[in-house]
Amino acid sequence: MLSATVMASALTLALGGPALAHHSFAMFDNEHQTKIEGTVTDFEWTNPHVYIQLTIADPDGKARKYTVECANPGILNRVGWKFNVVKPGDKLKLVVAPLRENPTGGGLLHEMVLPDGRVLSNGGFAGAATVHF
Amino acid sequence: MKRTWCFLGGGVLLCAALPVLSLAADPAKPTVKAAYPSGPGSLAGMWESPFPPDQIRAPGAPPPPVEVGPAPLKEPYASELKAQRKAAADSLASGKPAINNGVRCIPGGFPGMMGPVFPLEVLETPQQINITNEAFSQTRRIYMNETQVAIDDAEPGFFGHSVGRWVKGVLEVDTIGMKDSVRMSGAPHSPNMRIDEKMRRTGPDTMEDQITITDPQYLTGPWTFTYHYKKMAGYKLGEFVCENNRDYDAKSDSQKLDLH
Repeated sequence: MLSATVMASALTLALGGPALAHHSFAMFDNEHQTKIEGTVTDFEWTNPHVYIQLTIADPDGKARKYTVECANPGILNRVGWKFNVVKPGDKLKLVVAPLRENPTGGGLLHEMVLPDGRVLSNGGFAGAATVHF
Repeated sequence: MKRTWCFLGGGVLLCAALPVLSLAADPAKPTVKAAYPSGPGSLAGMWESPFPPDQIRAPGAPPPPVEVGPAPLKEPYASELKAQRKAAADSLASGKPAINNGVRCIPGGFPGMMGPVFPLEVLETPQQINITNEAFSQTRRIYMNETQVAIDDAEPGFFGHSVGRWVKGVLEVDTIGMKDSVRMSGAPHSPNMRIDEKMRRTGPDTMEDQITITDPQYLTGPWTFTYHYKKMAGYKLGEFVCENNRDYDAKSDSQKLDLH
């Protein structure tokens, strides 16, 4: 069940209101945020969204690709990110809202812990992280 | 300090700026200045909404004010929009949001682009004022002191055809020529829709844009709302080219994250 606030915001977007964001976050399960750890294989600093491609380990130890959707460069710049803040090979700890249709394939970022321990948000539009490292 | 002195000589008004000596201002009485600028040049700079979107406000903080009220639509348009809203809500509840222009990387256009939350850049010249929203790099151009074209001559677009003038320190803008697909809060409109704005400074670091939409064919009366802004000191607008849209699957015309 979507939260009322996310629902209201997403509804505004769906009907062409003010320029809030590119799309709604309803395809992500924001009520079941999870923690993942992985190694960066690619960092796409692009619009309309920034993406982090990771290799993460399944519970059985098998490597698996994982896609993390973030806000856009403008929003992230304003909350302390930089175009090169993440690099291939970095080991990251992430709080994500998994995709409803493919929860093991990707998710929406809520919080990121960098290798040096800095914690960065996703700019807030996706809602606050409910779990933390 | 200098003061301008004028003399009538030989039928000609002669003026010269001369130093004020005995009439120098009393330093104990500071010169009265406007608390904030108005008129040409007063809107230039970077601006953002002072109201964070509802979903990111701090716990316990009051909700932001409703800047845009409902469109006073006539029937059957009001009922049609209500049905569209219900369908959109149902699609969200199912976790499969309906497709809209934003997901396709099509910008919202005017007047939605004047709303929160992305920064606005205002550039002013005597002949033209450009306003760019960081989202999708949307730029509208306001041609100063020009006569508005006839509606039949205004090529429909995302930002319309805008002419402006300064009236008592307020920028008044008239816009026509919006594409049918550019819909404020989902409200449909006719080709005859007209959007009037009054943009003004409201304080040392604040500005507002009062927007009035008139469209007798679709609206029961004027639809007026006001966006508010605060200055963004030192901010430079970022690029926004929609180069990597991984959320839209054109083949199925659906919102779906590409996990390549």
